Amino acid sequence: MMRNVLFPLAVVVLVASPAAAQISYPMIMSLEPVAAQVGQVSTHTVRSRYSMFGAYDVLVSGDGVTGKIIPPEMTEEEKAKKPELVTMQVEFTVAPGAMPGVRDFRIATPHGASTIGQLVIGREEVVRESGDNNTADKATAVPAPATICGAIESAEDVDYFKFTAAEGEGLSFHVRCMRLQDRIHDLQQHADPMITIRTAAGATIAAMDNYYAGDPYLAHTFKQAGEYLLEIRDVRYQGNTYWQYSIEVSRRAHVTNAFPMAVNPGKSAALELIGFQCGGTQPVVYQVPAEMSPGPQWVILEVGAELTNPTPVVVTRQALVQEAGAENGSLETAQPATLPGGINGRIEKEADIDYFAFEARKGQQVTIDVVARRHQSMLDSHLRVLDSEGKELVASDDFKVGKRNYADSRVENWSVPADGTYLVEIRDLHLRGGDEFVYFIDLTLSTPHFFLQSDTDKTQLTPGTSGVMFVRIDRKNGFAGEVQLEVEGMGEGVTASCGRILAGRNDGCIIFHAAPDAPMQMRNVRISGTGTVGEGDSEKVMTVEADYYQETYMPGGGRNHFPVEAHSVSVGEPADLLAVRLSTNELTIKPGESIKIDVEIERAEGFDKNVTLDVLYQHLGTVYGDSLPEGISMDANNSKTLLTGDTARGHITIIASDKAPVAENQQVAVMAHVSLNFVMKATYSSMPLKITVKPSGEAVEASAESK
Amino acid sequence: MLWITGLGAESAMARDFYRVVPAEVSLQGNFERAQLLVQQVNREGIASPESEDLTHQATYTSSDPSVVTVDAQGQLLAAGSGQAMIRVKYKRWRSDVTVTVDGLVDEPEIEFVKQVSPVIAKHGCNMGACHASQHGKGGFILSVFGFDPGKDRRNIVQDRLQRRVDFIRPENSLLLLKPTLAVAHGGGMRLKKDSVDYRVLLAWLRSGAPAQEGEPLEVTGLQVTPSMRVGRPGMKQQLRVEAQYSDGSVRDVTALARYDSMDEGMLVVDEDGLMTVQDAGQGPVMVRFEGQAAIVTVSIPYRESVDLSGWINNNFVDELAARKFEDLGIEPSGICDDATFIRRAYLDTIGGQPTPAEIRVFLESDDPQKRTQLVDRLLGLSGDPKKDIYNDRYAAFWTLKWSDLIRNNSNDLGEQGMWAMHNWVRESFRVNKPFSDFVRELVTAKGSIYMNGPANYFRVNSNATELTEATTQLFMGIRLECAKCHHHPFEKYSQADYYGIAAFFARVGTKGSEEFGLFGRESVVVVKNTGDVNHPRTGKKMEPTPLDGEPSNHELDRRIPFAEWLTSTENTWFASSIANRYVRYLLGRGLVEPVDDMRSTNPATNPELLEALTRHFVESEFDLKQLMRVIMISRLYQLDSQPTAENVGAHRFYPYYRAKRLGAEPLLDAVDFATGMPTKFKNLPQGTRAIELPDAEYPNYFLNTFAKPRRVSVCECERTPDENLAQALHTLNGDILSTKIADTGGRIAKLLEQEKAAGEMIEEIYLATVCRIPSEEELQACLKIIEESSSPKEGYEDLMWALINSKDFLYVK
Repeated sequence: MMRNVLFPLAVVVLVASPAAAQISYPMIMSLEPVAAQVGQVSTHTVRSRYSMFGAYDVLVSGDGVTGKIIPPEMTEEEKAKKPELVTMQVEFTVAPGAMPGVRDFRIATPHGASTIGQLVIGREEVVRESGDNNTADKATAVPAPATICGAIESAEDVDYFKFTAAEGEGLSFHVRCMRLQDRIHDLQQHADPMITIRTAAGATIAAMDNYYAGDPYLAHTFKQAGEYLLEIRDVRYQGNTYWQYSIEVSRRAHVTNAFPMAVNPGKSAALELIGFQCGGTQPVVYQVPAEMSPGPQWVILEVGAELTNPTPVVVTRQALVQEAGAENGSLETAQPATLPGGINGRIEKEADIDYFAFEARKGQQVTIDVVARRHQSMLDSHLRVLDSEGKELVASDDFKVGKRNYADSRVENWSVPADGTYLVEIRDLHLRGGDEFVYFIDLTLSTPHFFLQSDTDKTQLTPGTSGVMFVRIDRKNGFAGEVQLEVEGMGEGVTASCGRILAGRNDGCIIFHAAPDAPMQMRNVRISGTGTVGEGDSEKVMTVEADYYQETYMPGGGRNHFPVEAHSVSVGEPADLLAVRLSTNELTIKPGESIKIDVEIERAEGFDKNVTLDVLYQHLGTVYGDSLPEGISMDANNSKTLLTGDTARGHITIIASDKAPVAENQQVAVMAHVSLNFVMKATYSSMPLKITVKPSGEAVEASAESK
Repeated sequence: MLWITGLGAESAMARDFYRVVPAEVSLQGNFERAQLLVQQVNREGIASPESEDLTHQATYTSSDPSVVTVDAQGQLLAAGSGQAMIRVKYKRWRSDVTVTVDGLVDEPEIEFVKQVSPVIAKHGCNMGACHASQHGKGGFILSVFGFDPGKDRRNIVQDRLQRRVDFIRPENSLLLLKPTLAVAHGGGMRLKKDSVDYRVLLAWLRSGAPAQEGEPLEVTGLQVTPSMRVGRPGMKQQLRVEAQYSDGSVRDVTALARYDSMDEGMLVVDEDGLMTVQDAGQGPVMVRFEGQAAIVTVSIPYRESVDLSGWINNNFVDELAARKFEDLGIEPSGICDDATFIRRAYLDTIGGQPTPAEIRVFLESDDPQKRTQLVDRLLGLSGDPKKDIYNDRYAAFWTLKWSDLIRNNSNDLGEQGMWAMHNWVRESFRVNKPFSDFVRELVTAKGSIYMNGPANYFRVNSNATELTEATTQLFMGIRLECAKCHHHPFEKYSQADYYGIAAFFARVGTKGSEEFGLFGRESVVVVKNTGDVNHPRTGKKMEPTPLDGEPSNHELDRRIPFAEWLTSTENTWFASSIANRYVRYLLGRGLVEPVDDMRSTNPATNPELLEALTRHFVESEFDLKQLMRVIMISRLYQLDSQPTAENVGAHRFYPYYRAKRLGAEPLLDAVDFATGMPTKFKNLPQGTRAIELPDAEYPNYFLNTFAKPRRVSVCECERTPDENLAQALHTLNGDILSTKIADTGGRIAKLLEQEKAAGEMIEEIYLATVCRIPSEEELQACLKIIEESSSPKEGYEDLMWALINSKDFLYVK
């Protein structure tokens, strides 16, 4: 019912699971309470869209948190009816040493892996709103500190909590609500919470709307002892039963940033902690573990006897220079830096501009990457590279990381025009400044490399069937070579055929296959790709793990992606299609030729709905996956891709353009889409089709019908 | 200008002393004119505002009419090069004025800008209603007020195959035939044949209607004599106007200037600059010439003397108000009673009525400082957190006021943007942010439209011209929009001034952001590296330049120097416009009206008071609460709203408290409070007051009927104070009010449940509506009504209905 109401409006699911036609995999909508406490075992309610009946496992990202399904109490007779179960109890166990913060979790069901849900891990006792707490006089009494959980469950909902503070007591109030909703697959409108602290008489003493994106955070020192009210609402007074929130009310240090931001693994760093009750200006010494991976990281620090909240740092192996005070505010007083090298700095005050000078030689290719806003700095950086006279050579405001845009700046592959001194100028785009405006500049000589992005975050299999996932490459600094895809971590009875991203092409695919006797399961797998980058002496083999993205559907039906922590492969119960078979799985073609491949689908008993065939992964005219070799395409006019009624046979015609270059054994999936409604589809895959393109004059061994 | 007395031998024996202004005249070129004034002076030869004007009573004789002629009104006209004497006589007094005429020729070359254009303007041809309308008249188009003389000349001389000029018989040119009505003219008679102005145009045509050569001299200022007059009804005064040109020269332009009375009920002025006072009061005459404007202030006391012995100054506001009362002979009304004061103070500061309990406490207090203490409590200035409990309501009320003006609305901003702006405004008022900071944050705002509320100002006003007009009108009280297309009609501001301001905003843009998620649609206001505005007529790229200032720029954000200039303590436009607005909010009328049309030609009714309030506001570091306080604790604010027969016409000088109609939102809140039945607003929780509404439009019949602004204009006038029939019918017959009054959960029902005595019931109803205890007479009348009603409930409901429909309820009195 819910699906019928909502999906025609906006939601599209292109690649659903082959688990069940017209019954989607469950989409997690909320978790109640949304927070759990370290060192505790707690029971939570998961709410979903589409049934979680038969759920048998919970996967939680990171270390220290596990989950398990609490089976609903049901008679065998009730179970036999396979009820629509959209509420489920889950037990989370949080180890005492678990890192606070937000974890992704999924529920494994017979219909496949669920979409992602999120769980907040906090250090304080978890308390929940109770009853009607919508007016100040009905405020829920809570201790402080605590992690308060509740929901802005309906329009005009305002939740009140009352707590006691001592004279001079400092408390921080950290809300997570809006940020927990980006990964909810089917939540089209998100919360924008706002908190207000009032005296017991109702007078406002502090208020905050947005700090961490749409979520408020504020810290307040109470001048007088007494009872106070904490009010939370959506700033627009909108509401939704799925708008769960947690408010961490804490006396502990709340660190928003550390300066310097970047640290070297294996070395100790003296960090100035910026935030609330961080123990004054004395730096905290942090011994960076030698094995820590480069890149943005979250670390726990000690302030006195207390542990901080996760603090953002950047781990780098670059030699670091640190901005020395505010004296580098002009071309003439630019602080020396090295290429390659890292720079730790801060826009200390409004309208502050920092300059760093470095030497470079003509022809060097330079990449300058700012890490700031994407890792919790308040800085919206604006970067320029100037010559020694101050003339602008190149500038950057924002840039894209993977599929998403960020407010950080990056100059890529800038070619140095002449030997000499150059300057990096950095400022806040809006001329703001302050302690929280920290940044790290990574100054490197550009080398060819690549990033990979998976689409999507889960592959749903049923026994004996195949599923496909696509990987797209983001080529950097001239890398044009081939990348071989790899996968690790599959479960019992699941195999994978890993394709390649051909030189000069953008996409490759991995086809997973579940054996007919593969048990129901859900595993997070690691997707990576290996290619040879560089030339001559600098040639090297590089393996890169993919960034995982969950598909999300925009209001209006457009498809988009949001980063998640892992790709999962699940095996569920048999569904509508039992197999997608090709007349051949190897095809050799020459420029100018076309070849027909017969496709046969095996329908489950009673399944007589339409099925469409395709070799491209596309939605509303946009292609998201195309592993075909260059010059190879499907001739739609000479293909039978719509299999209506109980039709089981169709065909596709592959054509090669006159200029199709040579390719060998490129892996392609022939996909069979089962419509769930007018926008949602479940996608099955054939076993790999390997396409080889030979030069025109070369003899071809017939592997399929060619014309 | 040289001022010398013209006392002759005979005059020395006279009882009175007079002088002629000027004592000497120099006329340069054909058709030049000058005006003589004859003034009464003191023994030292000095004229005062009270000095009588005898210009039109004196007689004038030229010693040589071939050099200069003079008419009966004392106007001189150059006739030939040379020197002559004008003999001025008044009764037994006489004086001679030397006139030197130079530069006259038989075939003069007439300058278009200096001579022709002023004639066209003088006769109204280039007014917006005439040939300067969008399509002109009869196909003849002139620029508004002659701001584009080159185009005007082309349209006269070249347009329509030169049909408007006849170079063979210049006197047959349509340019002359039409305004003299020699042929039909839709604009009627504008020019007398053979008048000096006619002859100027004819001479220009005879010389081939030449275009302006080179850069014309600009008029840089006007000097009007006298600039101030005090007198009595019936008084006449001839004005004399001199224009200063950019080369330093001075020219008598009395005959060419335009004159407008700003209060025609009080005085009129003819086209020659002769003022005639009709009635008592204070009013200006606006004088305009070639893009410059000046005023003459005329004060006519209502009475010869006034007794202010009972007037005690609470502060400088009273001191300066009393001075005006003395000057104009106005006797103020008495002080309002305590019940009136508490209701007035509550409604003016927090937009809501006091509770019956609060009223009783106030009325029972015999503390002589209780009014000041009440003001301090309402403004949160008592220093005692237990007393300062109205801050949220204060913030809500003033957020409503300023949100109207800065046009916060979800139609333009979306829900989140509108709320971000609302919350920023409300927080600013809650913490009593210095108003200079508030404005600076607003006009330099950047960043996320969700995280930084004021950034939405740049979405409500999405381009440089909108920002120019909104910002100058809101925070300087200047309506600059006229200067977008032509020279300001009542001010010195030109297109260059307009686009100089616009240049400050030329580089504001937006960029996208995903910080609020994929569905967030967040937008970020940014300053771009490029972007300029060009002068629409000259095409010249404009440098960012404040009004009357030098160009100022900032490499990264041009708005920074603009904000510094705008909110500077030196920029009296800023402080005085805000002070003036708050005078209006509290006293019912601005010292300058309209409050967002402050200009030299629209002077304050009490300039000294405005100046003092401005200074106070600046010295308090733009503290709005201190500004309100100094007004509210004054005796002036506490005057009764009942005028006397003598002071009723002098309302512009605040001799009594000017009753104000409650705005739509406070009125609805007052109704809700009186009836005990709060209104539920869409998308807002129960209990939200109308003054707390963040958005412009709500589907609420009451608010819409009572003219809640839609926030489409920065003008205060969008919230119209005028009542209309629909409003009257709504309170008289509408079901909203009757339903609330009769609701079983309402105040009356609850009072009945408490089984209070009739007298107590009536008192409660009075306190909840008109905030006072009924008089004995009223009480008895009410008891009778209750008794005669079909049921007590109905009687009480009728009483409440009647009180809500009374002016005591509908107005802040």
